[in-house]
Parts: sequence; structure tokens; C-alpha cells
Amino acid sequence: MSPEVTKSTQKKIKELIARYPKKQAAILPVIHLVQREKGYISDEEEKLVAELLEIKPIKVREVVTFYSMLSQKPLGKYHIQVCSNLTCSIMGAEKLIDYLSEKLGIKPGETSEDGKYTLSTVECLGACEQAPSMMVNTDYYGHLDKKKIDKILKELDE
Amino acid sequence: MPEKVLTKNFDMEHLFKIDVYMKKGGYKILSNVLKKLKPEDVLKEVKAAHLRGRGGAGFPAGVKWGFVPKEVDKPKYLCVNADEGEPGTFKDRYIMSHNPHMLLEGIVITCYCVGIHTAFIYIRGEYENIAQRLEKAISEAEEKGFAGKNILKTGFDLNIYVHRGAGAYICGEETALLESLEGKRGNPRLKPPFPAAIGLFQSPTVINNVETLSNIPHIMNKGADWFVKQGISEDGGTRIFGVSGKVKKPGIYELPIGTSLKELIFNHAGGMKSNKKLKAVIPGGMSSPILKPDEIDIPMDCESLMKADSMLGSGAVIVLDEDVPIIEVLRKITQFYSHESCGQCTPCRIGNSWIHKTVTRIYYGRGKKGDLDNIEKLASNMLGRTLCPLGDAAAMPILAVVKKFRKELEAELKGSGR
Amino acid sequence: MVEMFINDQPIKVKEGITVLKAAEKAGIHIPHICYHEAFPPEGNCRMCLVEIEGHLCLELACATQVKEGMKVYTDTENVIEARKGVLEFLLAEHPMDCPICDKAGECTLQDYYEEYGLFESSFQEEKERKDKKVNIGKGLILDQERCVLCTRCVRFLRDITKTNELGVFNRGVHSEIGVYDNQLIENNYAGNLVELCPVGAITDRDFRFKTRSWFLEKGASICPLCSRGCQIFIEYHPGFARFEVPKRVYRVTSRVTSREESQKEKGFWICDIGRYGYSYMDKDRAETIIQKEQDLSGDKEKTVKNIDKKIKKLIYRNKLERMGVILNSWLTNEELFLAKKIFAWDLKLKKVYFPEPAQGEKDDLLLAEDRTPNKKGAEEIGFSFDRINQEELFENTELLIVFWSSPFELGTISELTPPLNKVQTKILFTPFKRKWNDLFDMVIPTAVSAEKGGSFANCDGKIQHFGPVLSPPGEAQAEWKWLVSLGKEIGIDFKSYARMWSPLDVYKSIKDKIKFFRT
Repeated sequence: MSPEVTKSTQKKIKELIARYPKKQAAILPVIHLVQREKGYISDEEEKLVAELLEIKPIKVREVVTFYSMLSQKPLGKYHIQVCSNLTCSIMGAEKLIDYLSEKLGIKPGETSEDGKYTLSTVECLGACEQAPSMMVNTDYYGHLDKKKIDKILKELDE
Repeated sequence: MPEKVLTKNFDMEHLFKIDVYMKKGGYKILSNVLKKLKPEDVLKEVKAAHLRGRGGAGFPAGVKWGFVPKEVDKPKYLCVNADEGEPGTFKDRYIMSHNPHMLLEGIVITCYCVGIHTAFIYIRGEYENIAQRLEKAISEAEEKGFAGKNILKTGFDLNIYVHRGAGAYICGEETALLESLEGKRGNPRLKPPFPAAIGLFQSPTVINNVETLSNIPHIMNKGADWFVKQGISEDGGTRIFGVSGKVKKPGIYELPIGTSLKELIFNHAGGMKSNKKLKAVIPGGMSSPILKPDEIDIPMDCESLMKADSMLGSGAVIVLDEDVPIIEVLRKITQFYSHESCGQCTPCRIGNSWIHKTVTRIYYGRGKKGDLDNIEKLASNMLGRTLCPLGDAAAMPILAVVKKFRKELEAELKGSGR
Repeated sequence: MVEMFINDQPIKVKEGITVLKAAEKAGIHIPHICYHEAFPPEGNCRMCLVEIEGHLCLELACATQVKEGMKVYTDTENVIEARKGVLEFLLAEHPMDCPICDKAGECTLQDYYEEYGLFESSFQEEKERKDKKVNIGKGLILDQERCVLCTRCVRFLRDITKTNELGVFNRGVHSEIGVYDNQLIENNYAGNLVELCPVGAITDRDFRFKTRSWFLEKGASICPLCSRGCQIFIEYHPGFARFEVPKRVYRVTSRVTSREESQKEKGFWICDIGRYGYSYMDKDRAETIIQKEQDLSGDKEKTVKNIDKKIKKLIYRNKLERMGVILNSWLTNEELFLAKKIFAWDLKLKKVYFPEPAQGEKDDLLLAEDRTPNKKGAEEIGFSFDRINQEELFENTELLIVFWSSPFELGTISELTPPLNKVQTKILFTPFKRKWNDLFDMVIPTAVSAEKGGSFANCDGKIQHFGPVLSPPGEAQAEWKWLVSLGKEIGIDFKSYARMWSPLDVYKSIKDKIKFFRT
């Protein structure tokens, strides 16, 4: 895969950098764009971001390893992030995590062999009134139960 | 029925579109403020309204704005804290997705008051769809002249940018937010100096929560006196309480500050789900010490909850019933804080992890005599000793749970775990 | 100046200094780990928490500025409990490495546990496991488990060398220090990280597993490897009574530890050339007096008499212009002055030369271009560094005395043989055994700067005095001692030399004669 990003992403990155008095401040928005396009932040992407922001690659890695949403490993097409915090837990999240694990054949933290799904447990998503909740890529799903999960997985498969 | 201020019109479809917002009177207040009032007038009104921060700390907004030096040769900044990471909290999500323009109007008025020309909305990374909605709203506002250059032809410039976080609760702490915005790890800074003097990019910065700023247009519309009257206690205004857990109707409830917690749970949120018995309530987000059923007859305002050794925090109410094992509550609390600790200072980095390891061991049936006393000792060694309030936010709830549910936890030590 | 109180003791201190500094002035040590004078306060170890009257919570002594009338307490129950708490946290996730850790004996955690801890461990969980042998460059090894995340190393590379090789990765208790893949530390100040690290997280291969810190004695000296003349400690093993120790000098460390003494922030550090370049003190030393004509070993007096005989022969024949001397800028001011006195003033020789001092690349911090310690001293005493006129020096020279105190070569054997062959009698004063010593008729062993007293004038014009830390090996002795004996033996100004019992006596004479040294 080419270490470079698409021209339209390059354009967006330029616009983002222009918003801040210091280039380094654009690191999170830029990494989000790069991760969206490349799937994850490997060494190549670290060096690319470092070059774009005129900082050392070590500073990029410091940031990538700090934030939970940034990944140094390839993520599946659908990143299923189930909340395992207090409210969701008492509303049955743990059982749903086991159920998803069973259905997808992977444990939390793993990616399926066909690269379609990554399953993760995360902290509070800010959707407690719909507990138990989960996020798939950018979409929130709440009031989950086994039936709903089956439905969502079916929709994703299509 | 008490008047709805912030959540008024929430049921309207497309309120997030500027045309709909304007039809409901949107941006008229901004126009009035920019054209007829001076920045000092705004500050006076906000101070008189006793508007406390709605993020969790509860610091009076007007006082905070007053700390920013007036004449300074550096640019000033506003950071909108939309990181909403406190477990149990989801109110800002509603505001930003249902009525983003109300927030934007509040932002512009605030920046006019303090003399700020660049504002960043630091929104948690998980709220990606909402961030896009905000960006759209900002473009709409700029098009109509309510943001950007020469707002309403009054010569006031303000650029508003959306800046997405990437999954770190600690970035909800104001100085960690600044560090994150500057492109670094979200490590909180030593205070002093305070952000009002040295903040973003070493310049004076105001940091306010989404709900706090959303109140500004309403204060400027109907005045400080009206705002104060909206609350039942000394503090002014309404709060958007979020109720979740074992209740029939979890969701947001905008009610006057000072509304009784009991009333919130049993009258508004429908009472206990499946009519189970109430075991405990967390009144203000996970960082607030837990309350037992005999303690919930209490006004939901800063003073009253502080007197009860708890806190109003983000107004996020989590209701626990008799089926919830307390060891699970403790496990989730410690899991959260040890995962979210930035790792900078010794007590929080190691204390949270140590307590979580102990609680997990107890959870799986390998508890030992002395574990609970040790947990209390460790949590006490974190209290007041850390670089930022996350240490306290972890220690206080842990101490409260261990103290108030000691018997149940001791039974866990003897039990066989799970 | 403000007046404040520490443990009810009133003291007057400069306005704006920190509570930590003020306490130091009052003789009270407030324990701290992450704070270092070279950097602004970081506040992450939480070890220096103290009680301040009127403040609800404990405050950081390293980050709080003193105010008029402030009352600070460093020994209340609260403070003692806080310290124990922090120590307990640090030790909980710290590996039990003391028996194999090089920092033992000079480790902050050990020292503080002994002073402020002494509690039993209540940690019953599994410790975090991390990498214990991370190669971070220049012979430094990082043990991530021992690391207490004070970030002194990261801040040093950020603020002082500005090279940023180290960073902090991950979050919470999984935080660890590391380098970026193979972008290892390459700068000339890496060794300072070992001293900076309060625990044994960063160690260097040079010292690893070689000895224990409590066996070493420390002596103050000046680094002679460049003209900056950084203040150093030479740490040496005095030897065991019953068996040999493989090394004498085990390490060189920085001597400046307070901002007042330091040349601003630079003074806290020494460069790697000075830190790791100490092998010259022990390696290939000349220990015996070598004379091709007769055996003078062990007899210093006879040696001096012999040299004097050769000089007197030239004086009787009225051919003193056939004597030449080569000096060098590794000699101390005292030695250079004695040389000037004997050769230029007493004997009135014209052929007194200085080779161009060894040069190297300088850097932005400490390392100077001039890699000799005393060029400035030599200049002030009145020597010039004009290029040696080879013809003048080696033609028509019957007696040549060479002082070569530098561990570096003056030239190759093939370069030096032809000119030296032109001279009848060649005498070499040197501390080192080198191949070219064989070209000389007499080789007289001398001491290195660590083994003598004297002074150097550094490139900034600062005169620094030092005393002997080690003893010269075998028959070697300091050049100034040889020169005083020679001066007495030559007899032209016996009285002056007879008064010179120590380098200080020599220095008195220098002060009398030359204004520069009166500062």
C-alpha cells in the first residue's frame, strides 16, 4: 500500500493544519483522516504524519499510543466497540460481549481472519440511557439484546 | 410543569438546521447583544445569573471569564469542552445533536464578551457523526453571517473550529484538553498558572462545558434575575439531568436546579424498572460518591450534595437496584479509572491500577482479609495528592462504596467469587 | 527578600524561589524525585508534598513559590503519611532488582525508603511486566520496569540536547519510556542520563555489573580532555586488602549539582568524551625511569642530576643555543610557569616550543574545539603557539627535552624518527608508554592531572584549582616536582625553587609575576 494518502485527503489535511498557529496542534484531526483512509497507523503512517506536521515521528507515536481510538494494528472493516462501563454492565453488556464473541469467533481485542470484524470493549460511550450500547465504526446502537445484535450483524453483512 | 429552557423544541425535527432554528427566534439574541450591548454588560449579566459550570466542577462561569486579562498582546481562545466522558453522562450529546445552533449562539456571545476571536469545540472522538453535524452548523452560521468574519457587520470576527478527540476521558480535564489540542499527550498541567492567564498556546483561554455555554443566549434573552428564578436553590437555571440504569424511563430530564433526586427518579424517570428495590444511586456521574436509598431525599444542587459528602458533578444519575452486586460496581469504577489514568503522577497511575487488581481478585473469589482496609488506605493516599482531579474522582467514589457497603463487600471476601 | 517560616523556623530568602529551595537553604531536605534544578518543575512524582498554613491540600514544594509570611511544615503527620504513600505506590510496581541493580547504594528509592519508609509491603498483586533491556543507544540500557516515570530523561533530551530521542508511550500504568524504533540516542551528552535517572532504570555498559557504588571513593578534579575544564568527580576503587581489583578508576561523574555553582544550566552536565574517556589514566602508563645509558630506575635524584649534567655540559661549551624544549598545553599553570622560569628566564633558551593543541569539533553545549585543558594558561604565562619551525628546532640541536602529557599521539613513528634522529640527546617526560618512547634516550614517567595538584585556565578564562585524587603509579611523579628538583639542581635561582614545596607555593609566585592569575 502506498504510504501516501489520496489527493483529497492531502487537501483536507492542508486545510486542517491552517487552522492552528502551530502545526503540531493538527495532529489528532490529521491522524483521524489518515486512520480513516489507511485503516490504522503503522510506522509508515507515523512517518507520514510526522513529515506533514514537521515534527519527529516519536512525537506521533507518543500520541497514537496514548489515545484509545487510535490503532497501531489493522482494524477490521467493522469495528464493533461495546461499552463495558457501569450502566451498560448492569444492563447486561457482559453477556452481549460473550454473545458477539461467540458469533464472530473472536475475543475482545481481536480481528476476524477475513478482516471484516474487530471486537473491542470500550469505556462509557455517552449513550447510557440506551444501555447496553455499542458503536460500530461511527454509528451508535442502543437498547441492545441478542435479537438486535443479530439484526445489526445481518445488516452489516449485506 | 417547570419551564423548559435548553430542551425546549428538542422534539422538533430538523431543529439543527439553521432555517428552523431561526424561525424559532434563533440568533436574534446574538444580534441584540452585538449591536446593542457592550462586552462588560454581558459579563455583568452572566455573573449576576450565578451560572455554575455544567461540566462537573461547577465553577461559576462569570467569575472564570473575569479572570481573563482584558488588554493583552496575545490572541485569546475559547475551548468548548464537549469531551463528555464522565460515565453516566449523555446530556451534551443531546444538545449538540438536537440544537447545535443554540450552542453556537452561546459561543459567539461568550467570545464577544471576553474578546476572543478563535474558538475550538473539543468534542470526544466517539461523537463523530455529531462532530459532522456541528461542522455543518458552523458553515450554515458563517453563511448567514453569525460566525466568521465581520459577524452581522459589527466588525467582530470569530472562527469556530471543531476538533475531535480520540478516546481519552482525561482530556475532559481542562488543562489536559489544552495539551491534547496542542497536539500532545493529554497530560494535565500544574496549576498555577491557570488557563485564564496561560492556556492554549501560552495564551489566555476560557474553557466551558457545552451545557454551560448553551445557557448564555437564554440568560442574555430573559436576564439574570429570570435565570436565577429558574432554579429552586441559590444557583440559577435548569440542569439537564441524565438518568440511566434500572429505571423505567432512562433519558434526559431538564428540571430546575435543586429538584429533589427522589422526585427525579420516581416521578420523572418512572421509578424502578420491574419494580425492583432501590439499592443505591450515583447522583452526578461516576466521580460522585454513591448514595444509599435513605440519602436520596436531597436537592440536586452543588451545596446540598457537597454537604452530603457527594457532588452534583455532571448531573448524571445512575440508579442501581437490588440485583446489582456492589463488587461489580466497585470493579467497574476501578476498571474505568485505571484505564483512563494518564499515568503522569504516581498516586493515580499506580493507585488506580493496584486497587483495580485487588478488586478484580476479590471479584473472582480470591479476596483476603485486610483487602478492604488496604483499598481504603490506597484510596486515601490518592485523595488530594494527585496532579489533577482524576485522582480525587477515583478515590472519592471508591471510599464511599467501601464505607457504605462494607458488609456486602466483606461477604464477598468470604465468598467464592464468580 | 521575604521572610517565611519552615517548621516554625524563620528564614529570609530571595523572593520567587520555591519552597524546596528555601528549605534547602534552611538545611532541611525535602525529598523529591522528578524535580531537577536544570528544568522547570514537573510535579509528577508527588514526593515533595508539604503542608502550608492556610492551604486545604498539601502543596508541592518544588512548584510553590515562597511568599512573605508563608508557614511551611515538612514534618507533620499528614506530610509523613503522604510521603509514605507515594513511596509505597512506587515500590509496589518496582521490581525487586536491588541485588543486581547498579544503582544500589545511590538509589533515590532505596535512600528514601530507609529514611521515610520502613513499612511492610501490602502489595499482593501481580506487578506490571515490561522490557528490561531496551537498548537506547550509546551503551545505555533502559529497564522499563524500574522506571518511575519521573521523565527527567525525556526532559533532558528535550530541553538540553534538544534531540528528543526518548518519549513516553501508552497510558496509565502501562506507560513506558522508549526510543523510536532504531532512532537511538547519538548525542554527546547521553551519559548524563545515567546520573539523572533517580533509580536504576538507565544504566550504561561501561559501569554495568563492574562494581558496587559503596566500594568507590570520590575525588574532585577537572576534566582535561578539552579546554572547557568541566568539574568532575573521579570515582576510583581504593582496592581490597586481600585481593586485586581489576580497575582503578571506575567512572567519572559530574561535580556541579547546584544552580549557583553551575554556569547556568550547562554546568550540571559533562559530555560523553569526558565521562567515558578516563581509560588514559590507567592504560599503558609509564611507570619506570628509562635511561639508555645507565640504569637510573628508582632513583629520582640521580635522574635529575643526570639531566642537569647534560645541560651543564652545554653551558660550559657555551652552546646553550643548542638546547630545545617542547612543552604542551596539558601541563598545569604551575608546571608551565616553572618551565618558563627554568628554560626561558634562568637558562634564557630561545628554542621553547608549543605544538598546536589538538583540535576537534565543538558542539553547542560544552565541548570546545581545543582538546587540551590549559592553552589559555599557557598563553597567559607567555607562551605562543606559533608553528614549530622544524628546521630551527631540530637542526643544530644537541639536547631536546620534550614534555608530552597528552594521551594522544604527537605524530607517527615514521614522522618523528627523522627529525629526532638529528638530535643527539633526547629526553621525554610523559605519563604514557608509547611506541615512540623508544626514540628517546631518557623516558621519565610523570603524573596525569588526576594524580597531581595544580590549576588550569579554561577557554572562558576561569582558573580552576584541583588537588590529587589518585597516586601516580610506580616511579612517576608530577611534572612540577621534577621541574622544582631540576631548577634546584641547575642552581641559577636555587632560593626560589627551594621555597616551592607545593603547587600552591608555585601559584603564589605566578600571582606575583602575572596579573591574569590574580583573580
